[in-house]
Amino acid sequence: MKSFIPEIGCSIPRADGEAKVSGEEKYATDHYGDGLLWAGVRRAGIPHGRIRGLDAGQAKNLPGVIAILTGRDVPGTNRQGIVHKDQPVLCTDKIRHCGDPVALVLAEDRTVLAQALALITVDIEPLPGIFSIDDALRPDAPLVHEEHSGSNVLLAATVDKGNAEEAFSECDVILEETFTVPSVAHAFLETENGIAWQEPDGKIVLVVSTQAPFRDRFEISHALGIPMDRLRIIGPYLGGGFGGKDGATVQCLLVLAAIHAGGRRVKMWWSREESMAAGFKRHAVRMEYRLGAGSDGTLHALKCRLYYDTGAYAHLGGEVMALGMEHASGPYRIPHTLIEGWCVYTNNPVAGAMRGFGVAQVSFAFEGMMDRLAEKLRMDPLDLRMKNALQRGDKNGAGVTMTHSTGIVSCLEAVGSHPLWKGKEQWMAEAPPFKKRGVGVAAVFNAMGYGRGLPDSAIAKVELTAEGKIRVYCGVSDMGQGNATAFFQIAGGVLGQENDAIELVQPDTARTLPSGSASAGRTTYTYGNALIQAAEELRRRIIGRAALMILADTVDELELLPGRVKHLKSGREIPLNILASVMPPEDRICISQFIMPVARDGLETGKAFFIGFPHLLFSYAAHLAAVEMDELTGTLEVKAYLAATDAGRVLNPQSYEQQVHGAIAQGIGYALCEEIKLEEGRILTPDLATFIIPGAMDIPDMMSISVETCETSGPYGMKGAGEVGINGPLPAIAGALAQACGIRVKTAPLTAERILEAMVEQQTACERKPS
Amino acid sequence: MNRVLLPKNLPELWSFLENEPEARVYAGGTDLLVQMRARCADNLVLICLERIAELTGIREDEDGFWIGACTTFRHLLNHPRIREQIPVLAKALSTLGSPPIRNMATIGGNICTASPAGDTLPPLYVLDADLILSTQSGERVVPLSGFITAPGKTQLERGEVLTQIRIKKPEGYRVQHFEKVGQRKALACAIASMAALVKTSPAGVIESARIAWGSVGPTVVVSPDAEAALTGKTLSPAVLEAAADLAGKAMAPIDDIRATAVYRRRVAANLLLRIGT
Repeated sequence: MKSFIPEIGCSIPRADGEAKVSGEEKYATDHYGDGLLWAGVRRAGIPHGRIRGLDAGQAKNLPGVIAILTGRDVPGTNRQGIVHKDQPVLCTDKIRHCGDPVALVLAEDRTVLAQALALITVDIEPLPGIFSIDDALRPDAPLVHEEHSGSNVLLAATVDKGNAEEAFSECDVILEETFTVPSVAHAFLETENGIAWQEPDGKIVLVVSTQAPFRDRFEISHALGIPMDRLRIIGPYLGGGFGGKDGATVQCLLVLAAIHAGGRRVKMWWSREESMAAGFKRHAVRMEYRLGAGSDGTLHALKCRLYYDTGAYAHLGGEVMALGMEHASGPYRIPHTLIEGWCVYTNNPVAGAMRGFGVAQVSFAFEGMMDRLAEKLRMDPLDLRMKNALQRGDKNGAGVTMTHSTGIVSCLEAVGSHPLWKGKEQWMAEAPPFKKRGVGVAAVFNAMGYGRGLPDSAIAKVELTAEGKIRVYCGVSDMGQGNATAFFQIAGGVLGQENDAIELVQPDTARTLPSGSASAGRTTYTYGNALIQAAEELRRRIIGRAALMILADTVDELELLPGRVKHLKSGREIPLNILASVMPPEDRICISQFIMPVARDGLETGKAFFIGFPHLLFSYAAHLAAVEMDELTGTLEVKAYLAATDAGRVLNPQSYEQQVHGAIAQGIGYALCEEIKLEEGRILTPDLATFIIPGAMDIPDMMSISVETCETSGPYGMKGAGEVGINGPLPAIAGALAQACGIRVKTAPLTAERILEAMVEQQTACERKPS
Repeated sequence: MNRVLLPKNLPELWSFLENEPEARVYAGGTDLLVQMRARCADNLVLICLERIAELTGIREDEDGFWIGACTTFRHLLNHPRIREQIPVLAKALSTLGSPPIRNMATIGGNICTASPAGDTLPPLYVLDADLILSTQSGERVVPLSGFITAPGKTQLERGEVLTQIRIKKPEGYRVQHFEKVGQRKALACAIASMAALVKTSPAGVIESARIAWGSVGPTVVVSPDAEAALTGKTLSPAVLEAAADLAGKAMAPIDDIRATAVYRRRVAANLLLRIGT
């Protein structure tokens, strides 16, 4: 490949592309080693119960079994959890979901491991289970966590402004509807895995597929009672994360295993079925909406009640609900809102973070209400949205003043002027036999960063190496979204060096600095801002030290060029490797921290959230879906898709488009087919043959328009692009279906069976009417 | 540890079968290997047929085709005469699994797996396919329609192997239709499928109709009543709807993780309306 300076705004190839394609880049799964041991977990298999006994006698005697550990072998608190520490590493007493771990086995190979796991018998006294939100809220409900405040409510909260109850009396039109969305899995290619070992000095090294290596270190230290300085976490590129690797999966189990492995390497790698059973999921939510407006379509009052099923453990349940509540009123100006939320424990699989963190769910509801309102008032659905869309200076539904880039109106305008929208009547009229066509739109948004109560911080470190190259120490993971490439461009752009002179170090608690998790649309924003500062300081330092060598009396005549500093007046040059050789190591490294700004409004609401509420910065998008529904089968096919996105300035058009496309494709899966089906806490869709994600043939051509606002607080004006796109497909497709055939489905996903059933009901209703 | 035997010709196959009468016989392995992983099967003896040249290939004669049981779907789909002469089969093949699965899986395997959702079965039923079942000592010819007796159950006897499939060309059948409804467009197990052959007179009167449904009963479902209701009529919506009602009565679908019985019956009958377009 020809050398180039990776600059901002260009579609440079992915910095990790060549190494990944050639297989040179190692994911966590690619790490093995001599004398490797395998670790695996015996899971409860029943949703709620008390452990009466565990018999590992037979398993222990199996040749090749190294150790069998139970909760009693866990040093430390034996509790993990990001905010609420309520999840045991290994259960000692109570079982709260089928995937709960009861024993950890170390074996010489995978065959012995499987045999040993099968030989362990666990005696569990079953308890009555909680399998639905309504079960959980019954006053006499058995408790999932007896120690938790006498109810199954993990968190109840209110977000409000104005006076919604009274304001409904001022509305010309009031609509009510209840929506439900199921739990879904991330279905990343690389399932949860890692490898760990104890060094001769007692320190433990863990290489793990993780979105949050620095938080992992804290969690492991807390759960296992190991000082943080005895732990080193290495987080290579991930084969997908989508939120499912934001929190402890294999981490504590593997470190516990390593303590009992006598210095040998221990590998754990969940099968797809284990990932389904024990991995985190997106929350199932029930959303009861009441929306009031004037006869001209001006939104006036919103009341909603949101119920999040967080499963057996808190994980990020409260924070997911907080973000959902903050977005429950859509990207709209509504003077009066009352949003109530309950996040409840059940004996279902554990729900947690997933792309569109609580927001993908409520987007279905608020956009569903907007479509219903447009229909009721006979207004154009795009005009209705445009009329109410947030503008800079407005207060959003949570009462936060929009003081930063707010591009939703421009996104809606871009959709409105597109041929897919302008030509929709003709396209719909041309539907072939037995097909009905419709075009729907959705306006969505997604907050960036952790919100108030927690510093959204990153610490960048950049080095001029002894060889005269630039090395960026990335403290935040790249799970495929392309932030490493953005860092490559930022370093290249600021320091003017060519691609082969820039090296990226992926997260490693021993080499890189704490930079938060790869999540919340914050990764490039926060680390990127820190990196600009650090790289600019390094640039000044390189030029300043070159001045000493060149005997220049001012730095103004010096320029940093690829591989050298040049004195422009004399033409003299100092190669960077020579310059580096005279700089001591500490002089060649620049470090800088950035903390994301937070909302300044003095809110009197959302007091139940001690972290994660509210947010200041949002990305926006308007989506259009053109669908064709088959009247004979109910099958819904997305024929064309358009996304207009405001994620600020675009640093790399190719990476940006990949984020938009990926989010749409994943969102189409959420809309059409993805659903974790459960029966009394047991997963009926345990693999990818039954948990249906879309394939290439289910995804249409996708068009992406970038509505480039400039987010002045962001690196080069950018905002997060990773999450907002997943919020649009479900509401846009549901709206398109209603346009096609008048059916408004309020339960996702929009499967062929659900649609055909609704059509039969619709026909039956029509046949009854005339008589 | 499982043992895999790889006979290179039929005599070797017969001797392996004689020595290992409990062995599981497979070709592409796209069903068996998945089942084995799910059940953690161990200490099995497997006989893989894929290297036996006699069992692979397509031969055309005047009346039709002889297809080796271990011929892959990819091989069949690449065969221009199959695509031209029996599009009802080609359409089914093109919806089966995914490109990697079509490269591995074989027509004989799809028949012997005897799944109610086997994608090639409805077209092979309407084509009146015959099966050649061979043993060391000889062979017999049985019609496919009686071969599958229940989900996963066939008339194959111990030591017997499906070696060839005989398909006659469906002369004069202007309509050759196949449609599958799944949870997504590819890599989907059929919720319902339908294959149809319809012969019409120049005036548009139906002279003969052969229709078979998949995934709506323990084996492929046919409906002589529905076929009779079509015969002598034209392909009008009313005629098709009446036949679809009769067909629905012949079906005995089940509820499972993919769909309810109610939906299966409804959608399978509806598929008949498509052949009027």
